[in-house]
Amino acid sequence: MLLLSVLLVFAGLYLMLPPRGQAARVIGAALNGLALALLVTQFIRPDGPVEIISESNVFWIIGVATVGCGLAAVTSQNPVYSALWFGLTLLGTAGLFLLIGAQFLAAATVVVYAGAILVTFLFVLMLATANGSAPHDRLSWEREISAAVGAVIIGVLAVSLAKIDKAPPLAIDSTPKGGEARQQEILHPAHLARMGRELFSTHLVAVEAAGMLLFVGLVGAAAIVAHGRARDRDIGGALPPVELNLAPGRATAALTGKET
Amino acid sequence: MDEAKLMNFLVVGAMLFTLGMVGFLSRRNMIIMFLSVEMMLQAVAINLVAFSWYHNNWNGQIFTIFVITVAACEAAISLGLVMMLYHRSGSLDVTVWQNARESGVGAYVDEEIPFVDAEPIEFPHL
Repeated sequence: MLLLSVLLVFAGLYLMLPPRGQAARVIGAALNGLALALLVTQFIRPDGPVEIISESNVFWIIGVATVGCGLAAVTSQNPVYSALWFGLTLLGTAGLFLLIGAQFLAAATVVVYAGAILVTFLFVLMLATANGSAPHDRLSWEREISAAVGAVIIGVLAVSLAKIDKAPPLAIDSTPKGGEARQQEILHPAHLARMGRELFSTHLVAVEAAGMLLFVGLVGAAAIVAHGRARDRDIGGALPPVELNLAPGRATAALTGKET
Repeated sequence: MDEAKLMNFLVVGAMLFTLGMVGFLSRRNMIIMFLSVEMMLQAVAINLVAFSWYHNNWNGQIFTIFVITVAACEAAISLGLVMMLYHRSGSLDVTVWQNARESGVGAYVDEEIPFVDAEPIEFPHL
């Protein structure tokens, strides 16, 4: 059964990666959904009694939606659609954070990741995309090996993670577990106050280092662009032609405008 | 029962990580490759938060804050580099730069594009 689901994932991924027409993508998506259902029913066990709307059901809905949006983001042939599917993946991740009790991280993911990083992506896509859909978006390379590697890793991880409750507890693991202990510590109602206390007392050096990293990144990004622009100005606006040594093919014909 | 809930979260993280890896290995648009890297970082964040819940410990969530910080930094610098590469070569294709491959490995040759768009898609321009 594991081998069957791995093969289904491989076939689904191979059919969905570009270049593929509409029919092949639908078949690939259906194969992936079937493989996901097989993996879930074989290896994942429900926790607790089965109800219609329970925490477990909500988790499965959000989890499957997140993985589906991730699949669409990776295999979409239009880069703007990929960015938008990734935005939905981020919303699914924020939902998962909220389910497990990390409210600040859910909000931080939506605000920082989906609101700043994704918007930066879209700006760069607007600045750097030629008219129409470029041929390099409709092709992917090493499709067979990527799909095979992805399918095998999904199978291996699903099997090895299914055995997690049979592992012996660690000797250094001394934090108390259970419902009431979690209410006191990680699921405490004063979530942000607890997290702030932990962040600025135990991890203060890391916070300062992260701030310095952000500053260095800012200066570095500005320096890269400024150096490039200064070199443009020194040369007089025309860069020397880059020795690209392009392989013959459709993408390079579209790029250089001549047929090889 | 705690372990079952933890395992469900870890499986979702693992699938998202694998999808990001497949996207990074097989796509040619540099920005989509970077998007897949961000997807891998999100999967790691799911794992960290799930373990933080399981071990009743704040360390996982605090490390996720740093993961988000590093991702923002990396986005800024890598998108700046992608813009410079685009200005040099005129394309976002990563196979344009395949001169930087190992010596002894053959060049990658394009295959035929099997279909053509009916009408070209108009992207917004800046």
